[in-house]
Amino acid sequence: MAAVLPVGSDLSGAMNRFLKTILEKDIVDAVLMPMKVPSGDSFAWIIMSDSSIVDDAEAMAPVMPVQGARALRSLTRKGEGSIRVLALMRPCEIRAAIELSKLGQVKTENLILAAYDCPGAVPMDSFVSDPSSGEDLFRKMLAGEDVSAGEVKPSCTSCVEFSMTDADLHFGHFGLGGTEVLLIPGSPKGMEILEALELPADRETSIWDEAVRKRREKQVASRDAAFEETGENIRGVQGMLNVFADCISCRNCRAACPICYCRLCHFESETAKQDPNSRLDSAVTRGGISLPADRMLFHTGRMTHMSLSCVSCGQCSDACPADIPVAQVFSFVADRTQKAFEYSAGRNDGDPLPLRSFMKSELSGIHEMVSDAEPGGHAHE
Amino acid sequence: MNSIVMKQDASTAIRELLAYLLSSGRVDAVLTMRQVPETGSCDLGLITDPSGMVEAEPFLPVMTANAGQALSSISMSGKRIAAVLKPCELRGFTERVKREQGSFDNLLTISSICGGVFPLEKVISGDLEKLVPRYIEKTARAEAPRGLRETCKACEEFVPMNADISVSVTEHGSLMHLHSDRAEEYTEGFEGERIEARADQSHIDRMMKSRSAAKGKLFQSLEKSSGLDGLVDLFGKCVGCHGCSRVCPICYCQHCDFESINFDYNQPYFQESLEARGALRLPPDTILFQLGRLTHMSFSCVGCGMCSDVCPVSIPVAGIFKKTGERTAGLFDYVPGRDSEEPIPVMVFKEEELGDIG
Repeated sequence: MAAVLPVGSDLSGAMNRFLKTILEKDIVDAVLMPMKVPSGDSFAWIIMSDSSIVDDAEAMAPVMPVQGARALRSLTRKGEGSIRVLALMRPCEIRAAIELSKLGQVKTENLILAAYDCPGAVPMDSFVSDPSSGEDLFRKMLAGEDVSAGEVKPSCTSCVEFSMTDADLHFGHFGLGGTEVLLIPGSPKGMEILEALELPADRETSIWDEAVRKRREKQVASRDAAFEETGENIRGVQGMLNVFADCISCRNCRAACPICYCRLCHFESETAKQDPNSRLDSAVTRGGISLPADRMLFHTGRMTHMSLSCVSCGQCSDACPADIPVAQVFSFVADRTQKAFEYSAGRNDGDPLPLRSFMKSELSGIHEMVSDAEPGGHAHE
Repeated sequence: MNSIVMKQDASTAIRELLAYLLSSGRVDAVLTMRQVPETGSCDLGLITDPSGMVEAEPFLPVMTANAGQALSSISMSGKRIAAVLKPCELRGFTERVKREQGSFDNLLTISSICGGVFPLEKVISGDLEKLVPRYIEKTARAEAPRGLRETCKACEEFVPMNADISVSVTEHGSLMHLHSDRAEEYTEGFEGERIEARADQSHIDRMMKSRSAAKGKLFQSLEKSSGLDGLVDLFGKCVGCHGCSRVCPICYCQHCDFESINFDYNQPYFQESLEARGALRLPPDTILFQLGRLTHMSFSCVGCGMCSDVCPVSIPVAGIFKKTGERTAGLFDYVPGRDSEEPIPVMVFKEEELGDIG
């Protein structure tokens, strides 16, 4: 069941008004939402306590320049504080925030995490080169019109978690023709907001449910196709080498990743530094090496460190100056590592991080997984 | 100056020189750009086997990483290395040596009068095959090829400043100039006619003319970015990935101050900011990072352009840093990378300087 927010002419505007109201009525102390930057070609996360500033903000931005969980991390990494903040973000951003809270990097006690039905995002490089086309495109995406897959962030075209009913509060608008938004409470915190606004959650949601189900079906098919293609591309060591051949070791993928929270990445630390002489020795052994070295070690290492928490937000690909499909690879691997632990990153259900919980018997299928991943199909016993 | 006449094109000649240095045991390894024929992908190769030279493309107009940065730790191995570096890479390396991040002790540096490089995106999209032949033709005539990075078009430091060997290519032929005793010693026995010659000054002058004009234009276009509003306009879309600092040959800190705990804020800070201003950008300190980095390294900026190349939102970082760097270095009559013996200005105490700063 859900409460109803009438829309009028503008979906995003109606959500802005809602956020303004909860600030004016002191239901929260601040809201965190996107606002266009002065140059007009991107958006930034702004936390605002002054309700008049909400007028200049945008509930749903066409792009995801900074993963919202990173904004929440910067706000709460050093502790809770007493201000109650509602953060309105894409589902993948909320899911990353939940993962970060499990990792102790986001404190959610005073946060109300609100998500909306996400139609996907426009890639950053195309948006900055032509913001007005980007905004037009996003309007079409919001209205559910068909846009060509190449125009949307690749991760978004295969995202199956675009609607997030286990956020504290979810704004559902798919299938409702842009005339109203359903306010779906996913937790007591969300319920309290609706109660404070005296909005009864008495609307049944079947039309919206059906629209979400249909969209998910389509997205699942497109994800499966993407997985199939990626699986072929990265098969074996040679496959991985080919996919990452153009990597220049800038580590933008790591910096843009909401899950990679380490202040000093292991792979940039003293520990990972190879002594120059042994570096030369390996050059001698192989006749030559590529510099900067250890590119594959970095990518596979990062994968090992964070794939269980990967929310497939696609920020890594967006930030890659060499156009490597980092997100597709990480998403593919994450799907498998998370399945191995029956874990789904970002679920607000209190499931502990797999590596933090001991089970006497688990991962019995590891041999098949290894076998499946190898070109020859033989598992190492 | 003693120079070797190159009978073939410069790339082939240098490839042969590198193979000679390796097979004669004069060096243990060679650092050069290379291109994998099958995939077309380029990287910096640290090559020890002379047969690996077939993939070497010493003068490929591509910069996948500033080689001065890549060479840094390897140069301290004590092994003898010949490194082919673009002038800005050599200058970047020199600045690193001043910071004890590298050593010239066992290094033979080979550089060339640089025609500039193509943006990374052009390299990745596989346009290189089409672009390179035209590039070679144009640069031999001291003309600017199309499609180069903005930073390269506007680079006036295209003549190597302190290389052991420098290469000059004009329509009339290619020369290898030997600038040091080490160059003479290492090339001893390498075939090729020795003549007394310098790089063709009129060729350099013609290049300089177009570079200076482009630089004037580039700096002019950045005028609007002055003042706080200008900076906000320019850096407002920064996503805080700090890729610019990671690929910078000067930013050698293992752990950047702006990623350290010094820049984590506690709740009272946010509360006070909200009370005072009503709103705050998260993560904070977008402009502070850029200004801080400028303060830390601008006087050593060699204008290599890597920062712009990796910026995911196409901010003209390199132009701003180069423009600022010329002015901060200029205050100290300092030219980054000119001379490894020249101390970094902020490391030198003078009782009287910067009198007019107020």
